[in-house]
Amino acid sequence: MNAITKNKVDPVTLTVIWNKLISITEDMGAALRRTAYSEAVREGDDFSTGLFDRRGRLVAQGNFTPGHLGAMPYVVEHLLARFPEHTLRDGDMICTNDSFIGGSHFPDFFMMMPVFSDGCIVGYVVTSAHHIDVGGAQPGSQAVQGVTESYQEGLRVLPVRIASEHKLNADILTVILGNVRHPDKMQGDLRAQQNANYVGGKRLAELFREVGFAQMDVFIEAILNASEARARELIAALPDGTYSFDDRLDDYGPGTEPVLVCVDVTIRDDEATVDFSRSSDQVPAGLNCYINYTRAYAMFTMRIIAGFDMPQNAGTSRVVHTIAREGSFFNARFPAASGGRASVQMRMFDAINGAMAKAVPEKVRGACTHWCNPNIGSNHKSRSKWLMYDLIVGGFGGRAGHDGQEGIAAVMNSANIPIEVHEANCPVLVRRLEYMADSGGAGEFRGGCAVRKDVEVRDYGVVTLLGDRHKFAPYGLEGGDPGVLSTTVLIRDGVETELASKAVMDVEPGDILSFRLSGAGGYGNPNKRARDRIEADIRNGYVTPAFAREKYGAWEN
Amino acid sequence: MYRIAFDIGGTFTDFVMQDTRDGSTAYWKVPTSSGSPDRAVIAAMAETLSNGRASRDDIAELLHATTVATNAVLERDGARIALITTRGFRDIVLMGRQKRPDTNDMNLEKQKPVVERCDIFELTERIDAGGAIITPLAVDELDALVSTIERGDFSAVAVMFMHSYANSAHELEVGKRLRRDLPGIPVSLSCEVTPKYREYERVTTTTVNAYVQPIVDAYLGRLESAFASQGIGCDLKIMQSNGGLVSPAVARAYPVRIVESGPAAGVLMCAQVARDEGVDHVLTFDMGGTTAKLGAIDYGEPIIVPTFEVDTIRFRKGSGLPLNITAIELLEIGSGGGSIAEVSMGLIKVGPSSASAIPGPICYAKGGKRPTITDADVALGYLDPDFFNGGAMRLDIEAARAGIAEHIGRRLGLSGTEAAWGIYSVANSNLEGAMRVVSVERGRDPRQHVMIAFGGSGPLRAARLARSMGVPKVLVPHGAGVGSAIGLLAADQKLDSSLTRLIPIEKGAESAIQEVFAGLEERLRLELEQVSPHGSPVVWKRSCSMRYRGQGYEIRVDLPDCVIDEGFMTAAREAFERAYSAQYGYTDAGASMDGVDWHLTALVPRSKVPSWREESRTETDRTVRSRSAYFPEAGGFLETPVYRRNALCSDQTIPGPALIEDRESTTIVLPGDVASVSRNGHLILTINQKKN
Repeated sequence: MNAITKNKVDPVTLTVIWNKLISITEDMGAALRRTAYSEAVREGDDFSTGLFDRRGRLVAQGNFTPGHLGAMPYVVEHLLARFPEHTLRDGDMICTNDSFIGGSHFPDFFMMMPVFSDGCIVGYVVTSAHHIDVGGAQPGSQAVQGVTESYQEGLRVLPVRIASEHKLNADILTVILGNVRHPDKMQGDLRAQQNANYVGGKRLAELFREVGFAQMDVFIEAILNASEARARELIAALPDGTYSFDDRLDDYGPGTEPVLVCVDVTIRDDEATVDFSRSSDQVPAGLNCYINYTRAYAMFTMRIIAGFDMPQNAGTSRVVHTIAREGSFFNARFPAASGGRASVQMRMFDAINGAMAKAVPEKVRGACTHWCNPNIGSNHKSRSKWLMYDLIVGGFGGRAGHDGQEGIAAVMNSANIPIEVHEANCPVLVRRLEYMADSGGAGEFRGGCAVRKDVEVRDYGVVTLLGDRHKFAPYGLEGGDPGVLSTTVLIRDGVETELASKAVMDVEPGDILSFRLSGAGGYGNPNKRARDRIEADIRNGYVTPAFAREKYGAWEN
Repeated sequence: MYRIAFDIGGTFTDFVMQDTRDGSTAYWKVPTSSGSPDRAVIAAMAETLSNGRASRDDIAELLHATTVATNAVLERDGARIALITTRGFRDIVLMGRQKRPDTNDMNLEKQKPVVERCDIFELTERIDAGGAIITPLAVDELDALVSTIERGDFSAVAVMFMHSYANSAHELEVGKRLRRDLPGIPVSLSCEVTPKYREYERVTTTTVNAYVQPIVDAYLGRLESAFASQGIGCDLKIMQSNGGLVSPAVARAYPVRIVESGPAAGVLMCAQVARDEGVDHVLTFDMGGTTAKLGAIDYGEPIIVPTFEVDTIRFRKGSGLPLNITAIELLEIGSGGGSIAEVSMGLIKVGPSSASAIPGPICYAKGGKRPTITDADVALGYLDPDFFNGGAMRLDIEAARAGIAEHIGRRLGLSGTEAAWGIYSVANSNLEGAMRVVSVERGRDPRQHVMIAFGGSGPLRAARLARSMGVPKVLVPHGAGVGSAIGLLAADQKLDSSLTRLIPIEKGAESAIQEVFAGLEERLRLELEQVSPHGSPVVWKRSCSMRYRGQGYEIRVDLPDCVIDEGFMTAAREAFERAYSAQYGYTDAGASMDGVDWHLTALVPRSKVPSWREESRTETDRTVRSRSAYFPEAGGFLETPVYRRNALCSDQTIPGPALIEDRESTTIVLPGDVASVSRNGHLILTINQKKN
């Protein structure tokens, strides 16, 4: 390795080390995915990985879901407060799924492992994964309706030493697995997390040995400083001011009031503050966000809008501050229920995006398709034990110069689960998965189309719905139209019944659950839409001729 | 008799001619004819015949690796195709797996499929995961569909129905009808192209097959008729991605299998070099103008993987079009001689964007303004500006240095040399990361491996890469610049077939496994009839992609070619546990295992020919020149001896620092390392493993 002068690090070596740190987190992710058991992790990529320095500062993260990634630094802070450095030994792993300390709902398990080199802790590797069931009222542990406090949402594991000497503690495992509906998958996924930590820890220790303990400190400092400086530069490029936006979630269960989502984003010099305090109070349903989750998506959204081009780490976190009134929907107090909080991530993005539209209209997009995250699983009448965890995602809103993309994961960057995989493992038959014509908001650059997925169940069971935008459409910007509203429909004996977006209900063999997402918002005045775009949309069936005439009338003349 | 192999690359078409009597080879390059790559081949063959190198009756075989299928996909200039699929699932091929290529970039668009939405048609039918027919095929819809396709401007048709790997009846029925009514239009059925589960991956493979089919068909037709008109009557054989040669008939039916044709042949060349030198475990390192490709050879055999991804975005895994084809394992990254270096946030970033051949690196003086890896190589004295590509091109060293100083040095406060060294080092670190994935991450200990480096840019950095990885020895084969063409000479004819069938690896499943392999064998026997004369010896190889019950990803392991009984099951379980442990460091003792994808390979070994060796040395100039080249471990720029590779003798040893040049590439010998030439003419670098 090249020499380092006192205050200045050699840019070549810095590049090399930074790349290595990031590649370790990617390798951890590969190990996790390939040894996992649940469809959520192995097919859906619903997990994340990170590296922290010995002071608990985030140094590098993998290319995974922002919700986990953004919460991770705060989780580590809590875990180290309970298990300070001097109490940790080589091969220990500390684990929690607490909603306040952790990722804001019980299914997310975080596992942290100290990394030793020459008898000292040089850093920490961390994985998080969404476990498909942690017990509680309903299969999948994400019910919104019928849940008022987190004790109904399943097993809560406050920080414990789940492994010593690289072996999972059998007693703790027995307690955990005795409380969940699919212990085989849970155990497999916990082992996959342990395995990923092991892989990452080994490589981090090697890197420290190779580079040297003191020198790594200097490089990490340089990485954080360079990231912070770049983040400040990009935030400073946004015009100063306070920008506000108000939106609403449908409700917090059938028959309840809408939840206000109100944000004020303040840009001052080179720092940003995202404040959700004006939003509703926390609600008696499984939908609340704990502050770690709010921080995660506020950070992510500001990163996208400001155009952060450096990897996420503690340096960038110094520049974006997230606040929300304690006891409000976005900074819930324990034991607020939060199982279905994943449904809110999209709305946090849309709200901040809407606020920033007033500052930098060229950097934002129409509201995205709201996704849905249903769990359909067995109940007391079922012939077998099963759980279908699904991720149904739509498209992006239009933005300056570009139509919204169709069919791509919006905020949380997970993959879909193949139909043939679901059908091989669960008593379901998917009847269709397709884009819906005329659903994207019209605009000079139109919003992405809605997606429809019809799932027929072939056994008795219970479904917990987790959708939104049944009442308040995804907005358009700069004169673009909103996308169409979402509906969730039960088709029983050929009769269609509309369901509330966050209902819990029993299903019978032959029932079809039809998930029809909202379309994404358009951008810019529809009258300015280019003729070839309109024609291509008609040719490809994204838009019908009748809709085109109604929205883009001028084009035919 | 002669065997002639040709590999068409972006810039050059490489020819190798081997005399089957003594194995001696000659190689030459001609510029690739852009647009219709067959023209250069046909012209070069005509010249070969007219200049008396070989007479038409002396040519025993023509072996070919081609990028024609890959380019059709990369440039999206394949055929307009129709896709027929199950009602309700028109958009599967468009949606993909829906994950963004980069979490933190919401403006990066996912990869485009090869079929447009308006060309996707649905038929009423449905089969479930167990193969049961839920909805019978609506035969009455077929008439209208056939005439729609007939009226449309389609050159090929793809058919993919849900779960057709479990029950292919509906696809076969539609296929039969289309082939009867539309005789001029090729039809790709997913149950024939790839009967494996996961609908997006299967439909993508099937549509890509249809998409490249007309282009591959026309291309092979032009070659065949040109050779016929030259009076060359011998067989033409085409390289597949899995390293096996097939007849044009098979390549036409399953052109998706030839997308990674050239790179696969390069690894076969390495396998041949390894055999020559008695080496079993190899890491292969091929670095050209735009990318580097890294692979491995275990126990003398290149590793075959069951999937391949084409057209990735920024070389990110999961961002391209996934193809269910067997392919020689290669990791490709965006590091080649033309990769552009830039400064971002006080760091040096190299690749994946490339200056390509046009405008090219600054030193080409063809309009390139941004510094590249090749510019750093020339600035550091590693490349001879007057002997690039055998002197066919002069490099502008001053322009390269000025460009590096301006774009990198000045912005980082580094001297020009420090900046060039920075580009060189960062590029190496990217390569090291990729090499680490191929070796350590996949259970291969670099200390037990030999690296074989080739391609125009590989030998320039192989020694440093080896040193940082702990690889003790590097081989630079002769003819390293035409490696893929040479690899063709070492290839066998090979066919393989796979099927998804979930079967537990335990007592009681014997007959199910027997049935799967019997079905695969029947399929392969049909294809074999199109590949080799009846009665050729065939070697059968079985393998299976297995996993612990409940997992979603499999590891492919070889299975014994013996009676399927209890011993077979035990062997299968042990093979899986070994592979799992090598990859992940532990096994799940006592856990149940399932076989998911079953594979059968039929290998027709090539007729025995002597191992290839070099033509007698033409180079008589043994003068050792010198030039100034940069070796920071020895204090900076040193006057370094420069050897002509063709003038080296096998008893000679050359201590580093030194540069060894041939027309296609330059090999750097580091201080502390020693170079020598093997009996077979390959350059051997013995790496001193003391770290600098």
